[in-house]
Amino acid sequence: MTLEGYLTLSLMLFCIGVFAVLSQRNLIAVLIGVELMMNAASLNVMAFNRFSVTDPTTGQIFVLIIIGLAAAEVAIFLSIIVNLYRTRRTIDAEQLTELQG
Amino acid sequence: MLEQAVIYLFAALVLSGGLMAAWTRHILYAIIGLGISLFGVAGLFLYLGSPFLAAMQLLIYLGGITVAIVFAMMLSIAMTVTPPERNRAKTVFAAVCTAAFGLGVFQLVRAARFPAVSPAPEEAWSVGAIGHALLTHYNLVFETLSVVLLLAIMGAILIARPQRKAAS
Repeated sequence: MTLEGYLTLSLMLFCIGVFAVLSQRNLIAVLIGVELMMNAASLNVMAFNRFSVTDPTTGQIFVLIIIGLAAAEVAIFLSIIVNLYRTRRTIDAEQLTELQG
Repeated sequence: MLEQAVIYLFAALVLSGGLMAAWTRHILYAIIGLGISLFGVAGLFLYLGSPFLAAMQLLIYLGGITVAIVFAMMLSIAMTVTPPERNRAKTVFAAVCTAAFGLGVFQLVRAARFPAVSPAPEEAWSVGAIGHALLTHYNLVFETLSVVLLLAIMGAILIARPQRKAAS
């Protein structure tokens, strides 16, 4: 597959993630959409790293950092979900509207 | 020929898992779809020349993050709870926004021309090269990431801990 093929594939994966974030009601499903978008980004970086960069180390370290930050983000997000469920008894995004102006 | 077929198989796994995760209303199916998609991305990493990152993707994403999401699911919603109804207006809005974004970026991808270079020699892709770069040129990034992970763990414990009653 060429570079354009990989870019199109990761664009499609990113769009799937955007759709999940915008349309899902469960907060865990929203988190899953964010994870899909992060994976699309790292796939993109790896494709550029393969086809149009002379030093392949930089892109791999970039993707490693993306994976590490995703782990940190998931830990915080999940603890917020657990806390929300304990205090509000719901993780439906449409019922958590206290911050809506 | 076989290699191309396997690459397209992994691409199909990525897309079908993602679609399953984005469309379903059952949270367990969404997690399984996420796992399928992450597995496909790991396979594509293998063909993009980095077995090390494919292994890291499997270990951290499939072995760590997916399992953590399953734990949060078990702590927050019962398996038998029927999922909430799909909000039709919200779905249509999401589809329109996604289509607009995707078409715009697709035009960019088609219009852009990227310089093609010959792939780097084999030893530049080794795990040893990554480790050497991490501990010399990218040392600051490496240390900062470890501090960020430590802070995230502490923050997660602090947020998820049951609130104690204010004493006296």
